[in-house]
Amino acid sequence: MRRLVTALLATLFAFSWANAQTIVRVQGYGGQDPAIVQRLIDEVIGKGLADQGITIKYEPIETDYNTVLVNSLSAGTAGDVFYVPGEVAPGFIATGKLLPLEGLVDTSAFIDTLNAVFTQDGHVYGIAKDFNTLAVFYNKDMFDAAGADYPNADDDWTSFEAKLTKVAALKPDTYGACIAADTARLGAFAFANGWTTFTADGGADITSPAFADAFDFYSGLVTKGIAVQPADVGAGWPGDCLAREQAAVAIEGAWILGFLRDNAPNLQYGASFLPKSPKTGESGNFIYTVAWAINADTKVQDAAVKVLDALTSPEAQQFILEQGLAIPSRKALSDNDYFKQDTAEAQANKIVFEGASHGNVYGFQFGKVGTDYMSPINNALTAVMTGASDSAAALKQAQTDLNALLTR
Amino acid sequence: MSASAAMRQERERWEAQRRWARAGFAYLLLILFSLLFLGPLLFAALSSVKTDPLGYPPTLLSPQLAPANWAAAAKLGREGAKAPLWGGFAPGANVNVELTYFIPQGTEAAAPTATVPRRRPGGGLGAVQQIDYAADYAVVAPVVEVGRRAGVHGADAQAGEFVTYRVTVTYPGAGPKVDRLPLDVESASRAIEFVSSTLPPTRLERLGLVASFQAVTPGALGYLLGNYRRVFTEARSVTTGDSLFMRWTWNTFVYAFFRVVVTLFIATTAGYALARLRFPGRNLMFLLVLFAQMVPMQVLFISNYLVLRDGIWGLSSLWGQATLLNSLPGLLFVTALNAGPVFIMKQFFESIPREVEESAMMDGASYWSRFSRVVLPMARPALGALIILSFQGAWNDFFWPLVVLTTPEDIKTLPIGLLTFRNVYGNSGDWGLILAGAILSALPVIVLFIVFQRYFMEGVTYGGGKE
Amino acid sequence: MRARGREFLPALMFLLPFLLVLAVFFVYAGVRAVYFSFTDYDLFNAPQWVGLANYRALFSDDRFLTALRNSLLFAAIVTTFQTIGALLSASAVNRRVRGMTFFRSAFYMPAVTSSVVITLIFLWLFQRLGGINYLIAAVSRNAPIILTFVIVMVLAQGLQVLVERWRLRRRLRGAGQQRTVSLLDPALLAVALVAAIIVTTALALLGYLAPREVQNVAINWLQTRQEVPASFPFWLRVPLPLAAIMFQNIFTTIPTYMLMFLAAMQDVPRSQYEAAALDGANSVQQFFYVTVPALQPVTFLVVTLGLIGTLQMFDQVAIFGSSVPLQSVITLAYFVYNRMFPGAQLPEVGFASAAAMFLALLTLIIVTLQRTVLRAEGER
Repeated sequence: MRRLVTALLATLFAFSWANAQTIVRVQGYGGQDPAIVQRLIDEVIGKGLADQGITIKYEPIETDYNTVLVNSLSAGTAGDVFYVPGEVAPGFIATGKLLPLEGLVDTSAFIDTLNAVFTQDGHVYGIAKDFNTLAVFYNKDMFDAAGADYPNADDDWTSFEAKLTKVAALKPDTYGACIAADTARLGAFAFANGWTTFTADGGADITSPAFADAFDFYSGLVTKGIAVQPADVGAGWPGDCLAREQAAVAIEGAWILGFLRDNAPNLQYGASFLPKSPKTGESGNFIYTVAWAINADTKVQDAAVKVLDALTSPEAQQFILEQGLAIPSRKALSDNDYFKQDTAEAQANKIVFEGASHGNVYGFQFGKVGTDYMSPINNALTAVMTGASDSAAALKQAQTDLNALLTR
Repeated sequence: MSASAAMRQERERWEAQRRWARAGFAYLLLILFSLLFLGPLLFAALSSVKTDPLGYPPTLLSPQLAPANWAAAAKLGREGAKAPLWGGFAPGANVNVELTYFIPQGTEAAAPTATVPRRRPGGGLGAVQQIDYAADYAVVAPVVEVGRRAGVHGADAQAGEFVTYRVTVTYPGAGPKVDRLPLDVESASRAIEFVSSTLPPTRLERLGLVASFQAVTPGALGYLLGNYRRVFTEARSVTTGDSLFMRWTWNTFVYAFFRVVVTLFIATTAGYALARLRFPGRNLMFLLVLFAQMVPMQVLFISNYLVLRDGIWGLSSLWGQATLLNSLPGLLFVTALNAGPVFIMKQFFESIPREVEESAMMDGASYWSRFSRVVLPMARPALGALIILSFQGAWNDFFWPLVVLTTPEDIKTLPIGLLTFRNVYGNSGDWGLILAGAILSALPVIVLFIVFQRYFMEGVTYGGGKE
Repeated sequence: MRARGREFLPALMFLLPFLLVLAVFFVYAGVRAVYFSFTDYDLFNAPQWVGLANYRALFSDDRFLTALRNSLLFAAIVTTFQTIGALLSASAVNRRVRGMTFFRSAFYMPAVTSSVVITLIFLWLFQRLGGINYLIAAVSRNAPIILTFVIVMVLAQGLQVLVERWRLRRRLRGAGQQRTVSLLDPALLAVALVAAIIVTTALALLGYLAPREVQNVAINWLQTRQEVPASFPFWLRVPLPLAAIMFQNIFTTIPTYMLMFLAAMQDVPRSQYEAAALDGANSVQQFFYVTVPALQPVTFLVVTLGLIGTLQMFDQVAIFGSSVPLQSVITLAYFVYNRMFPGAQLPEVGFASAAAMFLALLTLIIVTLQRTVLRAEGER
């Protein structure tokens, strides 16, 4: 009985005992990440840091990351080093809780466009740990069975759609593609048409032909029955449809690779660039990036800088790349032997890497409104894809909502 | 026999008939209603053993519930690790799996190829742990044909041959015992169709070309309760390697235990004062209690969250906690505001006759001893109900644990831990594990309910059911 | 007066723990929420006094208006259906038979599990290819069979009752006995049931009756912004995902309230029913003239609890989470939480507090209104 009471009390007060060693708390996403980051710490950077007397305490966050980070920053319980996603960087910088890194870290070794995402008023607040772009991932077996050519770099929207149509006709319950009502995908097609997220005066224009045209193409794939939304086939996201062979194509980034390896190890897949707009002959793409940043209130700043250096070191980035998690952000790693390998994964990574310089490419970032920018457009996409509204009316509504959001 | 006697007899028979029929219909209705209300829970429990509970059309039964498959799984478990119940893959294993294919006439017969892939158990949390892979120790012998018979197959009754092949996997030499032996068997061509195997494959991949087994030596229980085992083994803390589900269960238990203690203490003392003692402002207090019961938690949570964040104005730093967020004490403080039990205890104390207490007072007893020696012992039945109901309330509590316990995963309680499961596994459509976790987390309160039904029913009639 | 003074100190000691908690987590929290509601505060920079700006902003904020609409509809619809449903099912199973305790426990079992468990199960059932859609498809596919079954049963019962009444009248003529055959006479109903089963099975076996060809029902309950009925004005339209939550909530709360009704029903004296029966009231009339009035106090309690519970609805929204568009399920309680922890941007503490104040006020108004209306009804 006494043992039980001791155990009860111990649990009650667990996590409150301070530790005297130099421990650097590192926080990041949950989901796919922990497996690889933990291995990165254990196998690649842990020993070097331990020699300097630094131990990493890694705490992946499985629930909504941004919310948890805001809360813990305000409570003073945030880690010493943590992820800051590019799309919410402006908001986090405004809290004043991110440590300016110039003078502490050599930022020149990293790709400039990625640094720009985390720069405000001349201060750099985060070091991009990696980046990602979108690519077309396709199931070779399904294209073979349908007698359709694989998607390739020369495809424009019309020829791409024709190939998907062939695959969709293969079986009643399978589809050419699996796409979600998501501005984070649609935007890339709008970029191909020359559209940009913000106009020169800081507004947004989504009723322009450039956007509407992309909108119609993207939503049309679903309304014509060529593509399906993941939820409609009981899948969680497009990568899931691809893994279950419910759809032959998913438009995702390199994050899909680890998922496929775990969930569809036998899938024969390939990757290709996003199709071009038939109007401009260009393709478009988003760059997604997440940075490592340091807590301005950290009590172990020197150690935190060392940990950040280690986490973004060439060895760490090479390891992450080879695990199929993301593409390195260091300029020096661009010309990498890994990309020359003949595996499906390496080839896909190469496409994702080159996607960053292929056509009209912009960072996945929406100023201070953050990802709230996407919700009016997502709503319009959902309305059109489910047949609840026509695209002109849906876009008009979305434009009104977006204007209200931007002027709030 | 007179006419009226005949009449009476006839009437009695008529009424007896109706009594029987009425009772019959009463039970029919009761059974139907029970099935209706228990339906979702039972259906979820049945489906929680399936590999893919989202399979369409949904069925009540699944291969996991077929005794023939338990036998096969036990046999394979014995071959894999001499463990017919929980299976595995250990040195000395000699696993034989037979697969039957249909080869249509005119198609060249060719043996399938078998491989043991390096496959991690599911995505997400499960991938964190360093595990041994069966692929590093398994040796796959060449596939041999063991049987052949002519027959017709499919809706169009195509003629051809059913050919059975045997795949043998061995574990030569020494090494660790591995939990799972995954197996992929790829048929030689698309024309050759997979029909059946010793144990049904987890799924068919690549448009039916590959029969894929998550674990081909599961053992009988491992096969039936695979998802339940995954609940415990897959989700592990990245820092300690402990099973997260075990930690959540323990945390929930600790939280519920202290919640009961705190509730008992506050509800009895405050309830007693409100019921028995007269003091200025008593009516105001009572009004506040009523009011506190009605106001939604979300109205007060903004300030309460900040109070916890600052450790109740720095009070918590006295025992070394800079903030009460992400800690069980914080959760206990903020949930101590619970007017319902105070109200119930007040009602109960008022029902105890004053004379009993007064006789004790004549001995010159203090208020405290009147309370602890006389009133509390009389309140035993009410206290029983209060204990059971506040334990149940704490076990199921959602809002405050959601707000207070965010990181790390190790400190969560079961309900919000299940939310983590939903976030991690729901995305990849892995509902088997989520359902198994949900059923497991509900078991303790269901057992509590079955044992202490009386108290629950009293709670319902007190009004509200949930406190 | 003396006793009052003498008992003040002991009372304070007894109340101290509760008072402390009440002061910090209720009174102080309430006051602070009022204060915050007049400021602009993001947790990182000091609060700025902005007067009524937050309240004005509330009523021009789309998401708040949607949350308000959703909360009101949710409270109205769920409370109505759960009360009526609980009352009806209670009277259906209100039988004095052996084993009632067992059945009562069976009804109540789902209610002891946590909202997370039940919501997760329903989230799974509401998937596009889930149990609910399958059930709908199965019913619509087998509609001819079900319909035949019901028609045969009604016909058989009607015919039997007619025949029996005619026979009784002939047999009892002049015997001075009063007997009639109820429309729902249980013995005859049993015969009708057997007849319906035999006829339907025979028709099905003979091939006259077959399930309809129906496409798979694939109602998108979750990932949709659809609102029904589409032709209604904004304030009366229910988003489909919210309807799913409503269904779940009604379904899972009925057993609890039904048990409350049952407990009260067993207390209604049998003599009242017997008196009503002597006055020639049939079972439906008995229900309305005896049961419903006798249950007035319980109904009052059930409606109050239902209103308070539904206006606080939060758990399901949080658990459905990313599997539904937030707009389609957001409630006032969740709105407050969401503005406090918005995720993609900094917390809007002032705005959240204003919404919280509104929610508190709304709850008070609705509960008070309900009390006055139902009380007036009771006195009439």
